[in-house]
Amino acid sequence: MSVVEVGATPSRRRRARPSVLMVMGGAVLVLLVVVAVLAPVLAAHDPKAISGPALEQPSARHWLGTDIPGRDIYSQLVYGARASLVVALVGGSIAMAGAILVGVAPALLGGWADSLSARLVVFLLALPGLPLLILIGSLAGNSRLALIMVIGFIGAAPNARILRSQTLSLRQRGFITAARGFGGGPLYVLRRHLVPGLGPLIVVGFVNWAGVSIGLEAGLAFLGLGDPTGVSWGMMLNRALSQPGIYYSSMWTWWVLPAGLGIALAVLGFTFVGVGLEPTFNPRWLRAS
Amino acid sequence: MEAPSTTAQIDSAVTASDGQAGKSRTPSWEQGRRHGQRWLVQLGGYGATIFALVTINFLVPRMMPGNPVDALAAQGSTNFTFGKQGQAALARYYGLDRPLIAQYGRYLSQLAHGDLGHSIISNAPVGADLARRMPWTLLLIGTSLLLATAIGLVAGVQSGWHRGRSVDRSLLTVLLSVREFPTFLLGSLLLLFFAVKLGWLPVSGAETAFSSPGLGGRVVDIGRHLLLPAFVLSVGLTAGSFLIMRAGMVNELGADYLLWGRAKGLRQRRLKYNYAARNALLPVVSLTALQMGFVVTGDVLIERVFSYPGVGNLIFQSINSRDYPTIQGAFLFVAVSVITANALADLLYRRLDPRTSS
Repeated sequence: MSVVEVGATPSRRRRARPSVLMVMGGAVLVLLVVVAVLAPVLAAHDPKAISGPALEQPSARHWLGTDIPGRDIYSQLVYGARASLVVALVGGSIAMAGAILVGVAPALLGGWADSLSARLVVFLLALPGLPLLILIGSLAGNSRLALIMVIGFIGAAPNARILRSQTLSLRQRGFITAARGFGGGPLYVLRRHLVPGLGPLIVVGFVNWAGVSIGLEAGLAFLGLGDPTGVSWGMMLNRALSQPGIYYSSMWTWWVLPAGLGIALAVLGFTFVGVGLEPTFNPRWLRAS
Repeated sequence: MEAPSTTAQIDSAVTASDGQAGKSRTPSWEQGRRHGQRWLVQLGGYGATIFALVTINFLVPRMMPGNPVDALAAQGSTNFTFGKQGQAALARYYGLDRPLIAQYGRYLSQLAHGDLGHSIISNAPVGADLARRMPWTLLLIGTSLLLATAIGLVAGVQSGWHRGRSVDRSLLTVLLSVREFPTFLLGSLLLLFFAVKLGWLPVSGAETAFSSPGLGGRVVDIGRHLLLPAFVLSVGLTAGSFLIMRAGMVNELGADYLLWGRAKGLRQRRLKYNYAARNALLPVVSLTALQMGFVVTGDVLIERVFSYPGVGNLIFQSINSRDYPTIQGAFLFVAVSVITANALADLLYRRLDPRTSS
């Protein structure tokens, strides 16, 4: 029983009208990219430099006040978009590259490579994710790149499982055998059947894991496992929430809330786009049979 | 938890029966034996995973920057009294001055005796520390899993049965949107709103300290403390079981037995829950086990947000103070629980679905 019925008809789908979710998510992502790219223009101060007294209230000079050593919170918020975008793109890419490597390639080759990789995926799936991240995060000594890479690595196993089952199901489908029988080479099959069959899953997987990466990185930073000198929303939350009694002063409205909203919006943006893509790529998703 | 010896036993058992297999004349017995073998191989796989994790658990904390003696003697800690000699004595006392291989051997032999070592920071046996915190974590995780699975199942049945209708669309949209929402963020926001601003629920901990209400009062108190963390933890889980249940239902929809049931004049409700849902339920079992890893992730963050006195908070604290034995013990506990859950789900799955074992 095939799980996903994609790629069987390469003709353009009629219901290509993007959903409301998709538009909303897309808008958020565009905003994220714009803020990230224009960060130096939008920011009022250097986010790492001390530009005023510590713990100031919002003012014309510091729109969202200042944090403990006196850095501008608004500028940190703007530059945080950059950090989140990098996390999303790198985390998602590594996850999908890994998934293709252990999910698609061995399933195409078959034989011992396939059974070995299937076992590897099961092993990786059984590993508890966050504890592993915490261990390796502490080992990496606050290196952001290492953390992001591990986040991507964790995403490889679940995505590999999905891609693998789809590859296996594609391989058994008649049209590939037929294409082979008519003399289609491996490259032809790859271009004509495998890419249309797997591409959508890879795209959806990438978008979803990009969102997860932002949440995971923020969570780790929140726990204190992040670059203490870096500028990211998770680090902002970590610093803000480690102030005793932050909730009981009004400080949280310009310190905790903007950073939290940033993370929430970025994650939701990716999630919405992922959810929006699903029905377009996978017609059986919603359509009643 | 004698991971290494178990693995060896299983491996040797597998090879021994491999050598004998193949010449039996009783097919059913032979078949049973083959099942047993595959079973053992699989168990061996889980054993090997646990052994690998034991080794990772031993190595990684020692490769981390910083060391516990420094943490003990750090400025600001109450123990800031040790000079160089005192530090050397401490390192010797805890065996940290010996070669890595010797430390590993000692670790394994202690582990084989069920000894997880002494916490360097709290100076209590790690096993005791874990045991003290475990009930809280089990309570939190158990409640969340139960809640999430129940809600996810019902929502998934409804959604899958009415695929494409507005119920389905709205459930899908809502649950998929909240699925990846960072738990710690949701937790912090709810904490701020319900506990701090409205004051309806307690801000932190698992029960009110220094109060001695009766049994009923205590249960209510614990429940009030549990409400927010359990809810936050179950949000992401609900989406997981919902999606699997929905997919299962969708797969069952066209089945002949449903048509037959309808022809017999069965009620919609009965068809939905007693027929279709029952058959679609299987994958949820393995999912619930797979979600254990996810639960643990959420648990560490949630316990930190709500200062819940469970294992997750212990992990966080022990990492901050580089408390090797506690880190090892806690990680081992977590990893072994996750893998055991997976193994149990495998077994249960076999019982529930005879097709997988033949």
